[in-house]
Amino acid sequence: MICAERIQTFVLQRITFILLGIAGIPVWNVLQKADAADTEAASAVTPLNTLAPLLDDLYILLLISLFAILLGIVCAFYLQEWLPQTNWTRRFIESVVAVFDGIPSICYGILATGIFFSYAGTLKTLGGVHVPQRTEDGSALVPLVFEHDTVVFYIVVLTFILMVMPVTIKTTQAALGSVATPIREAAYALGASHWQVLRRQVIPLVFTRILAGGCRAMSGALATVALIIGIYTWQYTTDPGNMPNRFVLFLGSALFLSIFSSILIKLYASASANPTHLTR
Amino acid sequence: MQTENVQPILSVRNLNIWYGEKQVLTDISFEVQQRQVTAFIGPTNSGKSTLVRCINRLNDFTPTFRFTGDILFKGVVMGTASDTTALRKQVGMVFRKPMPFRCSIYENVAYGARISGINQSAHLDTVVEENLRRTGLWSEVEDILDETPEQLSVGQQQLLCIARALAVEPEILIFDEPCGELDPIETVKIENLVRELTNDCTLIFATNKRRQAARVSDVAGFLYAGELVEFGATEKIFTNPQDNRTEQYVTGRLG
Repeated sequence: MICAERIQTFVLQRITFILLGIAGIPVWNVLQKADAADTEAASAVTPLNTLAPLLDDLYILLLISLFAILLGIVCAFYLQEWLPQTNWTRRFIESVVAVFDGIPSICYGILATGIFFSYAGTLKTLGGVHVPQRTEDGSALVPLVFEHDTVVFYIVVLTFILMVMPVTIKTTQAALGSVATPIREAAYALGASHWQVLRRQVIPLVFTRILAGGCRAMSGALATVALIIGIYTWQYTTDPGNMPNRFVLFLGSALFLSIFSSILIKLYASASANPTHLTR
Repeated sequence: MQTENVQPILSVRNLNIWYGEKQVLTDISFEVQQRQVTAFIGPTNSGKSTLVRCINRLNDFTPTFRFTGDILFKGVVMGTASDTTALRKQVGMVFRKPMPFRCSIYENVAYGARISGINQSAHLDTVVEENLRRTGLWSEVEDILDETPEQLSVGQQQLLCIARALAVEPEILIFDEPCGELDPIETVKIENLVRELTNDCTLIFATNKRRQAARVSDVAGFLYAGELVEFGATEKIFTNPQDNRTEQYVTGRLG
């Protein structure tokens, strides 16, 4: 049965890759046409290299991913602790998670970039970017600010959630599954309820690992967003404005988070959830 | 044997257990009297652990587990819907492998009181000291109560687990091969403790060591391949067994 599930997941993953690839084709066409005119216009903008809007973006993305991570953790706890392994809902969600978890981040990149660039023809922004616009009579160029323009922003947010949640669910489930059954049974045998076992035995053992998983997920998503911005900036604007700073900031945060998560995993390794060391 | 007019604390009637399609216990019936040590002997895989785990419903966590028959605790049927946490507070369990929690020795023993909502430190201190004294561990851990149990020997860890189970004040305490990982001296300690504990509670003891069962128990049952071959007074089981398989097992020719 496990073998059949693996094949199922594998096939679903391949299909998703192909669909994302196909989705990329019209997107690419849009890209080709979109920017010939816009790049001229963009060249007139004065770059505003203030840090504040960048930190604002980062702050919102971190907030979003924290939300996605929390949701992922809750989801994983529900799947692992409340639904039996044979439950079809659990198996369905797990295979969907496996599919999304297995997709390389470049595919998410293509997806996000695609939609992002399709809108770029008209909106040309990922929140707070200053875009030149002709006035009504066409005589002058004035900068027009789209502060976190809704559509594009939601796309980035959705991509973020799509990237962060499956990784979080998977790592959390793995962490919960790693807590040895005898420890749980020992607590149950003393009359502890499910909640008490979770709170007193399971969560202290898996907390670091879940945190590390969340950081890893966030780091991957931030790096992908950074790369999208990088590619966009270098390919399609002559005057990139805030984009390079944004790129460096996002990539820097991603790097920091990945280092942080590996430190957490090191910490975890020294305080393993495996209880075998308790006996000689 | 025991007086027959006293109501047994635990009676099992026609118990059949399956894991998936495989039947592991067939038509088990027996009664356990208060303040006695009941031992189940039998070779590995004979269903001893499954049987004793059934009594405090730990098998409920195995998804493929299924049973028919009745288990009566103090005359009340333990159905599938009854309150398992309340039941497990009355029916404690000590496992083969000592499994102290990753917290201080003090907190390990105080666990039962804490989950019952008792947090007054004076009360907890009493509970901890009293139960560590009962297991004879107090003098050894008196000065290291705030440290983790990892530094204790396996035998001490097992005594700690017994103290932890006793702190809940169970009426029945189940031992599932408690000496499986211990050396002979530690085993003697546990066996002596088991004899002393009959003053306070009823004990059920699963073991694959025949001599141990003969030493500690008042009543013994021989399980073989999921079947309760013989159940009766320990002396009778070991000196005058009725069934041929029991005789072969207690004399060491089987299993």
